[in-house]
Amino acid sequence: MSADRDLGVKVAIYGHFAETGRRPEVVDVARRAGIDEAGVVASFQSLRAQRLLLLENDGRSIRMAPPFSGVPTQHLVEADGIGYFANCAWDALGVPAALRKPGRVHSRCEESGEPLDLPVGLEGPESSDWLFHCLVPAAKWWDDLVFT
Amino acid sequence: MLFFRSEERAAKWCAGRGVPRRPLVTMNQLWKLATTWYATRLEAVARRPQASEMRALFASIGLDDDFWDPGSDRFG
Repeated sequence: MSADRDLGVKVAIYGHFAETGRRPEVVDVARRAGIDEAGVVASFQSLRAQRLLLLENDGRSIRMAPPFSGVPTQHLVEADGIGYFANCAWDALGVPAALRKPGRVHSRCEESGEPLDLPVGLEGPESSDWLFHCLVPAAKWWDDLVFT
Repeated sequence: MLFFRSEERAAKWCAGRGVPRRPLVTMNQLWKLATTWYATRLEAVARRPQASEMRALFASIGLDDDFWDPGSDRFG
């Protein structure tokens, strides 16, 4: 069933990100999920429709599997010796939350460029007066997720 | 979705781009959002919060403006 296949593909994608900090290629997901590459690509499209994945224009490369980014960004999270790129400030805290591991968020103030170095424990970030700002209203987030 | 060192820095950034300044969120509020959204993301049972769950989550940490309503049509 395609729902079972999608689930296997999703778990394989997130397992790869968690273990390596990098996006998996189609072949990596196929191997991990135990299905053929055509099935993986079909599930990529299905997961995109469910708003669980954002793909590059080639339909095969993962741009976002939130909170993980498939491409380098200004939000780098270190956890357990592995570096993870996050899609945005929200996702920067989402990485240690998803991994359920302590981590360290490296980012910046978008206006001044001042670096942010924020330790995040299992119970949350260390006390900090930094702020998060979201320009796009919630109803529009998926209109252009990269911009959001 | 960006970090800012202070309210003043966020206001300056918005003014410089001619965009509206939106509600600012503290790190503790953001942690609540991040954990609710992603704590089970690596598990097979994980799913995105539905619209009603999103509204309830935002409201639970004081974000109850239409800006945080996934069903709002106030913003065109």
